[in-house]
Amino acid sequence: MVTNNATDTRTKLIRIFTFLGGIYFFLYFVLPESAVISLGMKAHHEEISNGFIVIGAMALGLGLYNIIRAHGARVVFQRAGWFNSLALLVGLVAMIGATSAQWLENIRNTKDIRSVQIVGEFATRIVEDVRTPPVGRLVPPFRERVSALIRYGDDRASLVEAHTNLSVEAGTNGGTSILVVEVRERIATARAKLEELKGVSWQQPTEENVGRLTQFSQDVAKLASSYSLMKRSHDAHGLSQRLYDFLFDGLFNQLGSAMFALLGVYIGAAAYRAFRVRTIESGLMMVAAVIVMLGQISFGKEIYENMPSIRQWLLEVPNSAAFRAIRLGAGVAGLMLAIRMWLSIESKSFSSGRK
Amino acid sequence: MSGLEHITPGILVILAIAGILLYRELKRVQGGYHHFIRRIPGVDAVEGAVGRCAELGRPVVFTTALTDIGPVLYACLGVLHAVARKVAQYKLKLIVPQYSPEAMALVEDTVREAYRDVGRSSSFDPDGIKFLSNEQFAFASGYMGLMHREKAGAAFMFGSFAAEALVLAEAGQQVGARQVAASVSPEQVAFFICTCDYTLIGEELFGASAYLSREPVQVATLASQDRLKLIFVGLIVVGVVCATLQSWYPGLASCMPHTLLSADWSSLGW
Repeated sequence: MVTNNATDTRTKLIRIFTFLGGIYFFLYFVLPESAVISLGMKAHHEEISNGFIVIGAMALGLGLYNIIRAHGARVVFQRAGWFNSLALLVGLVAMIGATSAQWLENIRNTKDIRSVQIVGEFATRIVEDVRTPPVGRLVPPFRERVSALIRYGDDRASLVEAHTNLSVEAGTNGGTSILVVEVRERIATARAKLEELKGVSWQQPTEENVGRLTQFSQDVAKLASSYSLMKRSHDAHGLSQRLYDFLFDGLFNQLGSAMFALLGVYIGAAAYRAFRVRTIESGLMMVAAVIVMLGQISFGKEIYENMPSIRQWLLEVPNSAAFRAIRLGAGVAGLMLAIRMWLSIESKSFSSGRK
Repeated sequence: MSGLEHITPGILVILAIAGILLYRELKRVQGGYHHFIRRIPGVDAVEGAVGRCAELGRPVVFTTALTDIGPVLYACLGVLHAVARKVAQYKLKLIVPQYSPEAMALVEDTVREAYRDVGRSSSFDPDGIKFLSNEQFAFASGYMGLMHREKAGAAFMFGSFAAEALVLAEAGQQVGARQVAASVSPEQVAFFICTCDYTLIGEELFGASAYLSREPVQVATLASQDRLKLIFVGLIVVGVVCATLQSWYPGLASCMPHTLLSADWSSLGW
């Protein structure tokens, strides 16, 4: 009795949530845009749609847990076909590992590139603060800021240098590629500018000093841009990317392509069966198929000049008419079933059997 | 705003008519009205195919392939319920390879209900509902392997199919399974006709479960969709006549059915 009551409550809850979820999208769809805006639905539509996506995404975690549980048990207890389960789990771990490594590397690279960009932005900010002194914001003295900029700039230039050398040693950029040459040139320019900045007195923000900082900021921006390109190029040849490429492009996609290639053989086998003329209908089908095939190739035109036109007519008139009839019928039937689902008008097969 | 996000008043009227038709037919069948459903040979073959499996002692395979949660899946579940009942009655093995993890829960529940309906709950084997992959060709590959390993006696392919349709159907052919297919994807119907013993085309898929179960709600849905289709056919005929008239009298454009149906809310001052 308790179970029956719990099941009834669950069924009612499902029906209520189905109806409420459906009525939102139904109203959004049927109401004119002006009404949707005045009801405030337009403003929150994206958040609501994202909410549905998030709920769907939760199924991913559930699916992962289920796969590990079901196949893990099969491997541990060595049930029939356990080696297939092992292959699946190894594939799963390898793919998660490769994708995670790639993701972590992307985060690290973005951080490195950003740390170089910040040097240029810092220099620009010092210049802006000299030209328009900040109101309501305390900033350290000009001299201290420039000194910090030089220290930080030195440090970042060394980091970029080290990464460039690593990239050359690893040979991921083809030894000294054009990108490496460009980065090295820009490091040299930035370093020269840094040396110049070190030899200047920064007691007062003179126009000449501000000009030097502006030039330094532009040079660092160029260095950051080249460094970013070099990093991306380096990543494209990195271990994690190569592992990902091997698993996804080299293995997964190729296996899919192999399955797709089977279609060619199967179409031949199916055509052989279809073209055995046993009835008037199959005879008609064969005649239509032969005309379409001949109309597709240049040889067809040699046999009869209007063959391509007949083929075109067959595809555009009788074929399209049949397609539209099927789509209309299925569309109407789908609409009726959708209304029934939304209103939870369920048949005995799906509901009352529980009670 | 394009017509993609908000329907036009004309289409809203058609939706309302659809709702009214469904309500009316539900009331009629609840009042005891009996609708005639024409014979569908493919659906009649379901029982024969399951019976053949019983004779040969081979399992039954039912797949909804790429079908995700939606009206098509619900139509397939009606047929699956009927097939699972027969399988349970004959004490056969039922295998339902799955592509969509979300649909899998519904499929499992439907099969369990069917076994419960015929009083064979204990025979229900959840391992029969197998998740293969939600990648099209990995699923097809898994299905092929399964058909060859299990030597299925009958295969039912109901739902939405794409390029994998022929791979699935050929796998059934190779093991000599009796195959019944139903698809709402017109492009794949030709492949099924070539490789399967019976093929249900388009909306027949939606009629199949009503035909098999004769349940009032399903029969009412079938009847209401037929009536709505009649309205559409009427609109098409009127549209053809009006388009012909319009070509003679271009001034009639504003009162043409397609103009009225596609007029948006702004024409009503909204």
